[in-house]
Amino acid sequence: MKDIDLFDLKESLKEKGVLICFVGQFSHIIIEEIGLAIRKYLETEDVRKSIVTDVFAVFIEQAQNIRNYMLKKNWTGNPHLSSSIISIGKQGDKYVVSSGNVVEKADVDAIVQRLNMVANLDKMQLKALFKEQKRKETAPGTAGLGLIDIARRASESMLYSVREIDNNHSFLSLKVSL
Amino acid sequence: MENLCLQPTTSTPLINLDSEHGILEISGESYPENSFEFYAPIKKWIREYLPVATARIHVNINLIYLNTSSTRCLIEILDDLDDAFKKGKDIQVTWFYDEENDRAAETAEEFKEDITLPFLITAVKS
Repeated sequence: MKDIDLFDLKESLKEKGVLICFVGQFSHIIIEEIGLAIRKYLETEDVRKSIVTDVFAVFIEQAQNIRNYMLKKNWTGNPHLSSSIISIGKQGDKYVVSSGNVVEKADVDAIVQRLNMVANLDKMQLKALFKEQKRKETAPGTAGLGLIDIARRASESMLYSVREIDNNHSFLSLKVSL
Repeated sequence: MENLCLQPTTSTPLINLDSEHGILEISGESYPENSFEFYAPIKKWIREYLPVATARIHVNINLIYLNTSSTRCLIEILDDLDDAFKKGKDIQVTWFYDEENDRAAETAEEFKEDITLPFLITAVKS
């Protein structure tokens, strides 16, 4: 009976303030459905519309970044590499969108550098960077504009962690508070 | 020129490009699986239409949300419209947004910042 009892897992998610959580390979339809669920939930909570837009946007950008990265690496159908996690929750008076996905070790330095760069900019600098980069071509899956958009909507600096999972891969976690 | 109409889906907007009446409408949600693929035929249609358009062109945009890759695509479309305006075409863009959503108003302002053609931002009651 113990292995079919998900109560502890459910309680642990609840303690962490998680409202919605998905684990697995992100498909476009899954992203759409979770997005609809987030909006519906926030509308029942009577949250300001600009906050609903921000939470929704941060979720979409994070999820699509992960999906695009997975597609770029051709990891579809390889659960060890494509299985990702995304959760939307509430901690105190802030909404939190957290995600985690596998990245190639060779990409970690560039990703971390970009995260640090964006995290250290204030709102005005982010706006200027967004404006500068929105006309620039970037390869899909490089999270150019998406990351800047996330940082612009966040109310605190983004937090991240990276941990090695095998010789060639690491797991990147990203936490955005709004 | 044939009209281009696309029905809206959960993540893509309604598209109604009507050459007869000079109305270009984009409305709804925009976070497609692949924005560049989705907007390519729209951009192509507008590029072919602009040189042959003779009357005033009304561009009506009413997007609830657009992701960053849709933003890129829309900027390219607006740049094409802006170029045509500079060459003497009569173009009016109207951007509608939900009056209760400040963020949507900011998004509209940022699109307006970069172009010179008439760009009206209109609040709509939700």
